[in-house]
Amino acid sequence: MKATSPWDQRRPERELLLICLGGIGIGVILVLGSLHGAGKPLGLTSLLPFLVFALSLAGLHLALVMAGFRGDQILVVAMAFLAGFGLLARTRLGAFDAGTGGSGLADFAFVGGFLAMLAILLGFMGGRYRALAAGHWPWVWAGISLLLVAALLVTGQRFRGAIFGTGFITPTELLKVSFVLFAAAYIDRQAKGLGAWEFHGLMPPWRPLAPLAGVWAALVILLLIQRDLGMVIILGVTLPVLLVLGTRHWGYMGYGLAGAGLLGWLLLAVFQHGERRIQAWLSPFHDPTGDSWQVLQGLSGMYSGGLWGEGFGAGNPEYTPIAESDFIYAVIGEELGFVGGALVMAFFLLIFLRGLQIAYRSRSSFGLLLAGGLTTVLATQTFLNIGGVTKFIPLTGITLPFISQGGSSLLTAFAILGLLLAISDGEPPGTRARARSSGPSPARSRAAKSPRAPARTRKVTPHTPPEGS
Amino acid sequence: MDSAAWPYLRVGLHGGFFVVAFFLLKRIHDFRRETEPRHLGPARKPLLIPALGLLLLFGAVLGHQGSWQLAGIFRPQFLAFMQTYDRRQFNPAHGIQRGRILDRRGEVLAYSEEADGQVWRRYPHGPAFAHSIGYSHPKFGASGVEAAASQHLNGATPERLESWGELGRQLLTQGKRPRGQDLVLTLDLELQLAALQGLGSRRGAVVLLRPEDGAILALASTPSFDPSALSPALFRGGLAESPLLNRATQGLYPPGSTLKVALAAEALEQGFSGTLHCPAEGYTTSPRYPKIRDHEYYSARRAGQSWSGHGNLDLATAFTESSNVFFAQLGVQYGHDAFRANLERLLFGQPVRIYPGLDRTGAINTSRVPRIADKDRYGLAQASIGQGVMTTSPAHMALITAAVANQGVAMKPRLIATEPTAVLARLMSEATAKRLARMMRRVVTEGTGKPINTDKLAIAGKTGTAENSQGASHGWFVGFAPAERPALAVAVLVEQGGYGSTSAAPIARDLLLRAQAMGLME
Repeated sequence: MKATSPWDQRRPERELLLICLGGIGIGVILVLGSLHGAGKPLGLTSLLPFLVFALSLAGLHLALVMAGFRGDQILVVAMAFLAGFGLLARTRLGAFDAGTGGSGLADFAFVGGFLAMLAILLGFMGGRYRALAAGHWPWVWAGISLLLVAALLVTGQRFRGAIFGTGFITPTELLKVSFVLFAAAYIDRQAKGLGAWEFHGLMPPWRPLAPLAGVWAALVILLLIQRDLGMVIILGVTLPVLLVLGTRHWGYMGYGLAGAGLLGWLLLAVFQHGERRIQAWLSPFHDPTGDSWQVLQGLSGMYSGGLWGEGFGAGNPEYTPIAESDFIYAVIGEELGFVGGALVMAFFLLIFLRGLQIAYRSRSSFGLLLAGGLTTVLATQTFLNIGGVTKFIPLTGITLPFISQGGSSLLTAFAILGLLLAISDGEPPGTRARARSSGPSPARSRAAKSPRAPARTRKVTPHTPPEGS
Repeated sequence: MDSAAWPYLRVGLHGGFFVVAFFLLKRIHDFRRETEPRHLGPARKPLLIPALGLLLLFGAVLGHQGSWQLAGIFRPQFLAFMQTYDRRQFNPAHGIQRGRILDRRGEVLAYSEEADGQVWRRYPHGPAFAHSIGYSHPKFGASGVEAAASQHLNGATPERLESWGELGRQLLTQGKRPRGQDLVLTLDLELQLAALQGLGSRRGAVVLLRPEDGAILALASTPSFDPSALSPALFRGGLAESPLLNRATQGLYPPGSTLKVALAAEALEQGFSGTLHCPAEGYTTSPRYPKIRDHEYYSARRAGQSWSGHGNLDLATAFTESSNVFFAQLGVQYGHDAFRANLERLLFGQPVRIYPGLDRTGAINTSRVPRIADKDRYGLAQASIGQGVMTTSPAHMALITAAVANQGVAMKPRLIATEPTAVLARLMSEATAKRLARMMRRVVTEGTGKPINTDKLAIAGKTGTAENSQGASHGWFVGFAPAERPALAVAVLVEQGGYGSTSAAPIARDLLLRAQAMGLME
């Protein structure tokens, strides 16, 4: 294999990003032209978010090249396309016509997202992400997770039956990252114990499972108090997936399914909120102007969009309540039709498949768990949102990653992507492959903190398959 | 931006966006080898199973989405929802040429017309049918039969599989405008217009129906509105004359003396024979309350004369003369329980609909059995002459009258011709109904209904003059014709029309005579 410079190595990313920018550029003309036609005042400031978007992508690419980043290129491109798509949809919904024609700070939330992603990526690439599992860090992540939920419980405001943070920030969003960090690190450490089922593999090992299950249960109870059903489901899916990934014991999935059934029954019995959503889902025409109004309006919009839609700016998404956050997929379906929706889904699938690939190819088991967990979180969130909007499943009131409006949600999605990318950069050569990061080993932490070996980026060294499987 | 070129440019950009997005996907596919994360080493497990799982899961979501987005035409309730509540004007659901609504003789009462690239609903008779047919409008939604029969009118309930397929194909391709199915009503254009003409500029309601099968031939309510020219102001409320209110089915009025039909039925069922003393000074349950008197007393007093009173009255004579004193005493004599039971039997408080569905306008307001405390005998006396707490709608009174004309059986009232005939309930025994019918005939030949007596048609009925706290009395007439073999029953209410015999009864007579001229009395 011949050595290639980082510039050459990231040629596909460059080309794909340019195509992506071309498509988004066409979308910008379409959106701004339509807004202009609808009599919205447009100035040069209207173009500003897109210029910033283009510059951010360029900056991101250059930073990756300069850092000698070897990680996934397709992931970057898929993220860029979805983020651009989200920017278009939010602009179309009038996020940018605030008052004087200037754009608010919220419109540039994606810049913050890009910066956070880049910082995480650069900080944890080259195998340094494994430091996140070292020492006392798992317990720090568990503590942060609990604090995030508790903080919202104390400071949040009740709105539409659930609790939301003040203004821009919903701290529980970050839980998606911190919980996965905790669970992945803990399972990585206790993999052996967790895999030793008792009673002919019928009984999970309680002793090593207890701390993990305890933190999980505390989070779920706090989240249930806040009626954040979506997050409960995300955590409920992620934990068994991680346990199976870490121990290869499918019993966890069985117990997980049983637990999900029990929890679902409990929720319906205790929370009227949930029952009404189930009712609205099963028989939407029972109360079309009440509980089912939003989802039926969204579907009406998608129906009028048909196969191709009429293009951005040609629909009436304002008839769908809170279209800009939870129901943004309905807006895409309305204005770009079924094909537009399928496109969005295709790029999401691309991200999930790349995430899976990174997990399965990762040399460290913590990498496998972290990437697998983060991918599960993203996929579950996307499924809950799109499934809810299309009435495939009941509504859970959750945002669409990268696309929905909302600072915390956007930031979290970018943070997740940053971690995935960091893992995809692989380990520095010379690190012993497949070592479990159980317990702080002085050798490894030194290796993780040491500056990257200069040879590492220049050569793509063929790896021998690790021992066993 | 050049506005003339913009529509074309937009289509181009729209297409271009898709082309670039798919090109991006293609290039990503092309680069799949080059971007493979080889530096990570080979996958430790086969990716196929989880990848396939994800694809299946999201594929199922996409398929489900398509079943609404692309094949929504196959969901009739969804289509009806969009036509009623979706204000997106380009929604193809609004592009369906709904079927026509026809009267029983095929006269067009509503049809769809394409104008400015949009399908509009037209109502050739304007306000005449606004309360029964309602309206269908892309912005204001739908009401009345337009809403209730939406699925049928859209053609979303085709009889055969091919018509389903055809409908779906038309909507998917958006080529030829799909056409729904026509709907035939029991209403008769001529009689409806005659009823409205009779009411003229007065507020009121007319209900004309066939006792033997419940078919409603006229359902008029004034004032009305033009369903072809809806405006937001109409729905803002606050209009004193409340044109949206269907007075025929939803208006609640004290029934006044028309309720004596109910009291007489109660007395006949109880086997009343003999007389009650009805003196000129009237009747009351306690000296603390004003006396209930007969209308002759007031007429005599107005003329400066004295009136000696009815003396002893039998039921038939008291009914013919509409003696308040008699029926107030009768009601109190039978007591609260019998009164309540009788009203329940006459469908007070029962759900009765003139077409299927859930909306309010399709329901006949049968009021409810009034709550009169057991100690309140004066309240019972008042209720017995259709005053005080008693209220009901013209359509309900028409239903009771039709039952008298149909040997005591009320047929299910219906507006849609294809709805099968059905018995609603037996309101009284056959013998009671027959005797009551004879008494009602006497009202017109020698009693309070005399002013409308005519040689051409044997009309039977009961007048009513209901006092109301808001001003002049409401005039009522309920009746049927021909008396021996009833073909049509009618209820007329004129708000603040004064005496029923001079305000409401002539409208009923003219309408029945018109129906006779049309050959409906054979």
